[in-house]
Amino acid sequence: MAESIPGYIGQSVPRREDRHLLLGEGAFVADMQLPGMLHVAIARSQFPHATIKGIDLAAARAAEGVELAISGADIHGVLPPISGMQVTTPQGWRDRVDTDILIPDQPLIPHDKMRFVGEPYALVVAESRYLAEDAVELIEADFDPLPPVAGPDAALADGAALLHDVLGRNIAAILHTTKGDGAKALDTAPHRLKRRFNHHRYAAMPMECRGVVADYDARRDILTVWSSSQVVHWVRREVANALDMPEERVICIAPDVGGGFGVKGHCYPEDILVAYLAKRLGRPVKWIEDRHEHLLNAAHSRDIAFDFEIGFDDDGRILVVDTDFVVDSGAYSPVGAGIAGNSVAHMLGPYDIPNYECTCTVALTNRVPNAPYRGAGRPEAVFAMERAVDLVANALGLDPAEVRLRNMIPPEAMPYEVGLTYRDGVPMVYDSGDYPKALRAALEELGGLEAFRARQKQALAEGRYIGLGLGCYVEGTGVGPFEGASVKIDPSGKIMVATGACAQGQGHETVFAQMAADMWKVPIDDVYVTVGDTSQVTQGYGTIASRSTVTASGAIKGASDRIQEKVFAIGAELLEAAENDLELRDGGIGVRGVPELHRTYREIAKAAKPGWDHQRPEGTEAGLEAVSYYEPPTVTWAYASGAAIVEIDPETGRVTIERLVEVHDAGVLVNPAMADGQVKGGLVQGLGGGLFEELAYDDFGQLTTGSLMDYLLPTASDVPPITVLHQEVPSPLNAFGVKGLGEGGAIAPPVVIANAVCDALRPFGAELNSTPVRWGDVAAFFGDDPFEISEPSPA
Amino acid sequence: MRYEAPETLDAAVGLLAGESGQARVLAGGTDVLVQIHTDRADPDLIVDIKKITELRDIADEDGAWRFGAAVTGKEMMDNAAFNAAWPGVMDGVRLIGSVQVRGRATVGGNLCNASPAADSVPPMIAARAIATVIGPDGRREVPVEDIVTGPGKTSLGKGEFVVSFQLPKRPPNSGDAYLRFTPRTEMDIAVVGCAVNLTLDDAGTCTDARVALGAVAARALVVDDAAKALIGTKVDDAAMEALAAAASAACSPIDDKRGTIEYRTEVAGVLAQRAAAIALERAKS
Repeated sequence: MAESIPGYIGQSVPRREDRHLLLGEGAFVADMQLPGMLHVAIARSQFPHATIKGIDLAAARAAEGVELAISGADIHGVLPPISGMQVTTPQGWRDRVDTDILIPDQPLIPHDKMRFVGEPYALVVAESRYLAEDAVELIEADFDPLPPVAGPDAALADGAALLHDVLGRNIAAILHTTKGDGAKALDTAPHRLKRRFNHHRYAAMPMECRGVVADYDARRDILTVWSSSQVVHWVRREVANALDMPEERVICIAPDVGGGFGVKGHCYPEDILVAYLAKRLGRPVKWIEDRHEHLLNAAHSRDIAFDFEIGFDDDGRILVVDTDFVVDSGAYSPVGAGIAGNSVAHMLGPYDIPNYECTCTVALTNRVPNAPYRGAGRPEAVFAMERAVDLVANALGLDPAEVRLRNMIPPEAMPYEVGLTYRDGVPMVYDSGDYPKALRAALEELGGLEAFRARQKQALAEGRYIGLGLGCYVEGTGVGPFEGASVKIDPSGKIMVATGACAQGQGHETVFAQMAADMWKVPIDDVYVTVGDTSQVTQGYGTIASRSTVTASGAIKGASDRIQEKVFAIGAELLEAAENDLELRDGGIGVRGVPELHRTYREIAKAAKPGWDHQRPEGTEAGLEAVSYYEPPTVTWAYASGAAIVEIDPETGRVTIERLVEVHDAGVLVNPAMADGQVKGGLVQGLGGGLFEELAYDDFGQLTTGSLMDYLLPTASDVPPITVLHQEVPSPLNAFGVKGLGEGGAIAPPVVIANAVCDALRPFGAELNSTPVRWGDVAAFFGDDPFEISEPSPA
Repeated sequence: MRYEAPETLDAAVGLLAGESGQARVLAGGTDVLVQIHTDRADPDLIVDIKKITELRDIADEDGAWRFGAAVTGKEMMDNAAFNAAWPGVMDGVRLIGSVQVRGRATVGGNLCNASPAADSVPPMIAARAIATVIGPDGRREVPVEDIVTGPGKTSLGKGEFVVSFQLPKRPPNSGDAYLRFTPRTEMDIAVVGCAVNLTLDDAGTCTDARVALGAVAARALVVDDAAKALIGTKVDDAAMEALAAAASAACSPIDDKRGTIEYRTEVAGVLAQRAAAIALERAKS
């Protein structure tokens, strides 16, 4: 329980990261300057789909300052592609979910054909980025355009051009899951409702784009790669594999990273290419992604269309959900069927729904590869489900809040067996929480439902349109397979912690220091934390999927527990006391109830040292260090209810968000201020995706939103007043009661806003079943002469 | 690429007229430098006009304001008297880019970049601003609406550039306003922009009006029918209806993801009414 954990956990300790970041002393990959460093510029395809006829690098190679120019042909057979199975799924999942997965490999630079606009076809290494870019201009590339597979419909059509001949189809994966008997439940349901829901394509847009610097030390045979990555061990593994080096001889470091949100959560071709170039050329090599490249080449996300049918009874009880959905995965699928699997697993949300039938197809198209972005499959599924719940309410003349409360799993049903399998292979069990309470709290925070309905009625009489929208979801967090941590007690007595988790600004160093300080009963400043450095911990997994607080804390605890066994043994020896009488306190170990009988960790470390004059008891090995790998039993279940009140300008369709509330549960909050910031940041990203951000392609497969002039991120003035309330129901699955909270905020806003707009426009019977919510589409519902809305109409 | 920063008008004209290749005038650089960086411009000569005194002045000449083409948005925002005189022009200036951009960007540049969506242009047109243009043949005066001929294109001849703008002395009971509609609330490109400048007599009847629209055609438009809808009225509901209809009727916008043709056309009428309401308020106060 939260109350029983003393010390730093639960305190809004100031972030130790802030000082250097706020003073402009952060060190990002782009800041790195190494002696003799070379720079890479990359030639990128302007064709969505084309055969390479020939690439002439002669002029580029002869250009000023050019050290090397290569195309795909030069590395074909030399560097293997990135395996389509970067992410493996456990046997338990494959046993329980009907899957047909064929993920294509991704060549570092294709030698035969281009599969999306932005894919590399050659690169130049030169003395400066300017010279490298000038030389790229001199590359003569000859392509034979192929018909673009411009979307999932085209991909799945009979006779469609194939992106990957080896697969024999434009499908990376098909997943099929059932619970109960969906077909029968639909047949017998008193009411059925069918719609098509679309969640459009948008992406993480971290302030720092990606970047890689690599340096090979031939004498020591050590290759160091600095990458703006969320997963340094993953990058290390792929680099070591590609270059046939032992993993121990590749060091991957993520220095300060300016945001990740998932887009930096897998290994990219550039990570391996830059490492390869540094080793081949014997000089440091740098590549920094510019914003245009980021929009054109870094993973996009979302882009799922659901055909969705829901069956319900007269009381609004949902009896069955039956959905077929298609993910537009783009040209490759770097994180496999991860997004699709998340959508499948999160569809039923906080509701007790007895029957479920779900088939998902991951389609391959000539677009940028689709990989997780904050939420990763959940915002999509939640959009479909939560729109459907509102439609059920409308159909029955019930309030949407009431329908939700009638279907929610009550707290007394916890832990709740969902009847599905999570992607860690474990049957899904919602571990803890009070879903109805979260929803009621959100409504309460907005002044109460009845008061709002009265206000809404009054406003309508005045010709004003206000609406209240809801979005409730659950989120599996802290997923395995594992996280690693190394803990050492330094001779100085300081606690040294390193984990495989990587920070992109979240404040990991602070949070892990808080948790380790409590584990060791030391002042927080006595804890030194290293993240994002493979040389500091042998195996690690990385920071994705709302997992680091949960998994890294488990690993830090596992390593600490092991060392503490020795500390107790040595403490007993030094204090001439029984181990049972000892406790950790005040930066060391002491006899309970006897303040003067105490030894500091510095003294313990001295006693534990190897060699002469140690003071270890018989049988206690030297040294105070341990590595531990935490393998979570399964995920912890965070959840939330989002709610907003909006007002619509009937003349322009502009939606003004009066207030946005999120009642969120991430279990015990280690640092409430940071948790607040996390959720708020996610909410703003959710609003951006729901309202403004859009990666649009034309019919020819060209991206039409290739700069931040067209890809509209929300600015400070687009952010409404936000309230985040935390429930803090501890998870029973780990020692600290924590759940993940990295992604949660981004999940609800698109559907909360869509539902709020539809609620405001109920007099018009308005339905917005696609994102983004555009002002023009909202305006279309008004007037004597309503004009066509720009998105596809509901099916 | 050659960079020159002359200190006199004659020197600038000489450089521009004498260049055989591509020459570009540089003021704040918020468009030109971006175009060069993104390979949309590759000039042989850049003539920076910021060191020429006449281009940096802003002055009240007996009620008629004149300001140099290289006066920055920030400098204009800091001039309280000008803000009081032409609040609608400043509505437009204040919407150009961000705080940082306005520290560099100029009204002259906003005009000569020739974007149909430039935010300071409709209110300048509505204000009947006159541009003083200098070139090898000396000076000429050109109404602002005649400078831009299409997207990225102006009527300026070789060696010519805008020196300054003059705004006429305002009769009493005058007010102007500019509104723009964008998906995002700030730092965005207008879906529609509309400026209204009007004058009332002592009885509150509109005696003069001028309405300009941005982003709904290849260049900013003067909409005479919209002005006529206001003149002779008390700017009442009927006049507003007629104004909206005239504004919408003048539109021939593009269709893109910021707004469909129908939507832009509709919103143009809405903005015209709203801008007129603000201008009216300002004229009365």
